[in-house]
Amino acid sequence: MITATRIRRTVFAGSVVVTLLLCTRSFAPAAVELSTGIRHVSDTGGLDDCSAKAKAALDAYLTNATESSSGEWLATAQNPQAQTVTAAATVRCYALPKGYVVTFTCAVQIPENPYGADALCLNIAHKFYGGALSSLAAMPTPTPVPTGCSPANLVGTWVSDDKPGLTLTADLNGGFTDNDGVSGNWGLRGMTVTLTYYGEHTLTLSADGKHMRGGGYNFTRKC
Amino acid sequence: MTRIFHARIGAVTTAFFLTAVTLPAVSQAALELVIGARQVVKNEPVSTCNTKARTALNSVFLNAGEVGSGDTGEWKAFGAVDSEGHSFSAGAIHCYPLDDSYLVTFTCAAQSPPSPDTATALCTKLEAAFNGGKAEAGTMKRESP
Repeated sequence: MITATRIRRTVFAGSVVVTLLLCTRSFAPAAVELSTGIRHVSDTGGLDDCSAKAKAALDAYLTNATESSSGEWLATAQNPQAQTVTAAATVRCYALPKGYVVTFTCAVQIPENPYGADALCLNIAHKFYGGALSSLAAMPTPTPVPTGCSPANLVGTWVSDDKPGLTLTADLNGGFTDNDGVSGNWGLRGMTVTLTYYGEHTLTLSADGKHMRGGGYNFTRKC
Repeated sequence: MTRIFHARIGAVTTAFFLTAVTLPAVSQAALELVIGARQVVKNEPVSTCNTKARTALNSVFLNAGEVGSGDTGEWKAFGAVDSEGHSFSAGAIHCYPLDDSYLVTFTCAAQSPPSPDTATALCTKLEAAFNGGKAEAGTMKRESP
């Protein structure tokens, strides 16, 4: 028999599930793109020759080309805005009785990476053994961190006027950390500040961007 | 009873908003590409490598296919896709014929999270699947890493 209590418990459980699902939304809806299939056989040269070319080709498009084992090279590139590796490639050399065989494999994380894995691999391969090179879209430049006491954001270090030792260091992405390492979030609409920090607090930012007060807090920004 | 019910709904809603607002940016999913093993398999034709590559890729990923046209010996497959058709992992196996043997290499990529496996773990699985569940078969020489 379905009772009202059971219905309520079901609704409650459903709400919890939906909440948890929504909470996982912060995983980036990106995808991995893998490019493989370019193989080059050279009748001349040895493993050293292949390795030198592999490093040069990787360094032309990525950074920190390193040899993980004999003749096997890996390099990556970081998207400064995403602050994570979004492109990588391997060049694997294998010595033959005469010459060597080399394969190229690339992976990118889309959409954070501005170019595709195929384009990356084709350029690395062409750089290695010659061929037309195309220009790859540049990685976005990192957003400059605002300086000073801009009333448009809360970025900077805030010192409590009445709670000794309490400081908040706010970043550009709406987060901050206090002097004990406890993190919180900030929002700014007009001159109204919302701090999520042991609860939610509403403060008012001064016109010069140097002070914020309200909700039991008084802060002055260092600038 | 109704008040308790409403209080519970309110608590869940509040919890959601607090979580949504306070959740740190955990979506720093990083791309990982790893150089897996390289093996030289004696006394077997490259066609065997191709067969094993397809089977191994299909056991770890989905829809393994040979890249390009003809007998290229270059295989790749992707991990399961999400509701939007995105895949967060992939693997490649290269087979290359040598005189009386073949060369096979494994390469894997993963974005973790959301991929439950790292690229390193995927390549370990892939290599084991290629070798019939064993890390190294009797006729195989695992050269690296």
